[in-house]
Amino acid sequence: MTVTAVSEIFRRVLAAPDVEADSDFFDIGGDSLLATRVLSAVSREFGTELTFDDFLNARTPAALAQRIASAR
Amino acid sequence: MRVVVVGAGLAGLTAATDLAAAGITPIVLEASDRVGGRTRGIEVAPGAWADAGAAYLGDRHTELRALLDQLGLKTVPTTMLGASRFALDPSGHARSRDGRFPPLNAVAIGDLFDKLDELTSQLPKHAPWLHPRAAEWDTMTAQQWARENLPHPDARTFFPLFLGEMMAADPAAISVLHMAFYLRSGGGTRYLNAFEGGAQNERVDGGSHQICEQLAAALPEPVHLGDPVRSIHQTSTELDGTAGQVHVHTEKACYECDAVVVAVPPLLADQIDFSPALPLSRAGTRTSPGCAVKVHLVYPKPLWREHGLSGWSVSARGPLTSTVDDSPPDEAAGVLTGFVTGADVYEFAALSLVEQQEQARAQVRLLFPELPDPIAVHVTDWVNAPYSRGCYAALMGPGDWISRGPHLTTAHLRVHWAGTETSTEYFGLMEGAIRSGHRVATEILTRYENLRRSR
Repeated sequence: MTVTAVSEIFRRVLAAPDVEADSDFFDIGGDSLLATRVLSAVSREFGTELTFDDFLNARTPAALAQRIASAR
Repeated sequence: MRVVVVGAGLAGLTAATDLAAAGITPIVLEASDRVGGRTRGIEVAPGAWADAGAAYLGDRHTELRALLDQLGLKTVPTTMLGASRFALDPSGHARSRDGRFPPLNAVAIGDLFDKLDELTSQLPKHAPWLHPRAAEWDTMTAQQWARENLPHPDARTFFPLFLGEMMAADPAAISVLHMAFYLRSGGGTRYLNAFEGGAQNERVDGGSHQICEQLAAALPEPVHLGDPVRSIHQTSTELDGTAGQVHVHTEKACYECDAVVVAVPPLLADQIDFSPALPLSRAGTRTSPGCAVKVHLVYPKPLWREHGLSGWSVSARGPLTSTVDDSPPDEAAGVLTGFVTGADVYEFAALSLVEQQEQARAQVRLLFPELPDPIAVHVTDWVNAPYSRGCYAALMGPGDWISRGPHLTTAHLRVHWAGTETSTEYFGLMEGAIRSGHRVATEILTRYENLRRSR
C-alpha cells in the first residue's frame, strides 16, 4: 500500500505520470527542492518526518516506503 | 517613420533592432555612458569577464537563446561539483555539506514550497490581478504572509534567503501577489531555483554584456550615450496618422519623432517629465528598486575546487547571503560571486568601498578558511546605480499590482513601454526584457502602418 501511495506523491510532485516502484526520484526530474515537497507530503500523509539525507539514501518509492515503515 | 527608443538595455536594443529590420532608423538615447542596462561586464583578469549584472539563463529562455544564436554567442554550463558551505545557525559557523540543500528541516522547507506552489499555480499567468484572491494578496506583504504561514523557525530562516536569491527582494517590501506573480512568471519555484535544468543552467561565455554591445553596434545609427531624457512632449492627443507629433528632450538636444519607446525601469520612467502627463505613474506608491549588490572575489584560479568545494554557500547573516562559482570556463581566473540581497542591501550600500571589500573578505574567510585572500574584490551596487535604480527588477509593493498591472503595456498616446517589468513572462529576467522589446516593436509596426507607408 505504502509503495503505491509514495509513487503517487512522486507523480504529484514531479507532475509526471511515469513513476515505477524502482524509479530513482533524482533520475526522473527530481531535485532537492522537489525532494523537500515529497518529504512534506510524507509527513502529512504518514505522520513520519524524514530528513533530506534519509531521502538521499532511499530515492525510489519502494525504498522510501520501507524507510517510512521502519520509522513508524 | 521616426522612432526614438529611450534606454539601451536589452529591451530597448531588441526593439531598436526589430524596428531597424523593418526599415526604420531608430534613434536610441541612453542616459549612461555605456549600453547594456542591467547587464554589465567587468574584466576581472586580463581577458576574463564576469557578469556584474544579469548572468544566467535556462532552456525556457527561448528568445534569449535565439538572440545568442543569431549573435554567435555561446553559453557555458553552471555545473557545480563538490560540497557547499552553510552558515545558518546563530553561531555563524560554516558547515560543509554535499549538494545545494541547506542543513535545515526538510519537511518545513517542503511545506514552504507547497504553500508557495499553492499561491503560484492558480495565478492567471498574464493577468495575476484577476485571481479571486488578488485583492487580499495585494494588500499583504510577503513578510506578513511568512509570519502567518510558516510556523517552523527553519522555514522562517530560509524564506528571506530564498526571496533574496530568487528576486532580490526584502519580504517586507513586496506584496504576496508580487511574490506569487514573480515566481509564476519565471516558470515556478523549481525552475527559477534550479541551476541544472533551471533558470540558472548556463551563463553567456565571456559575459552577457556582449549581447547589448553587439546589438548596438549593428544598428544603422550609433546609440547616443550619456544623453538622459528629461521630458517627452506630445503635441497632439489625436492618433490621426500625422507625423512628428512627439518631441523628446534631452539636455543636449530635442528629437522630433512619430513614436517613442520608453524601455527603462518604472522608477526611472517616472523621472521623465511627460506632457500631457501620464494618467498613472509607472511605479506604484510602494514600488522599490530590486535590492541587489554583486560582489566578485577574484582568485588566480578556482582554488575551492581543489578542496572539493563547489563555491556555493548560503549564510543566514550577510552581507554575502550566498556565493557561487562564476569562474570563466578556461579557469583563467577564479571568480566567486557573492550576493547581497534584500534588507541587507541598503546598509551595505551605505558603506565605503573599502569597508564593503573588507566585510566581503571577512565573510569569505569564515566560509572558506582554506582559501587565500582574494587578489581583487569588485563591488557592483545596483540599488544606487542612477540609471538602473535596482536589479534584478522593480519590486512591487502592496497595492501596486492591482493599480498598475492592468496598464503595464498600455501606450500613453504615442509613448510605448518596454522593459522586463512590462513582461508578464519571465518578469525581471533577461528573457522578459527581450520579449518586451519584440512586443513593443510589433506594437509600433502594426499601429503606425499608415505612417510607415507614407515615408
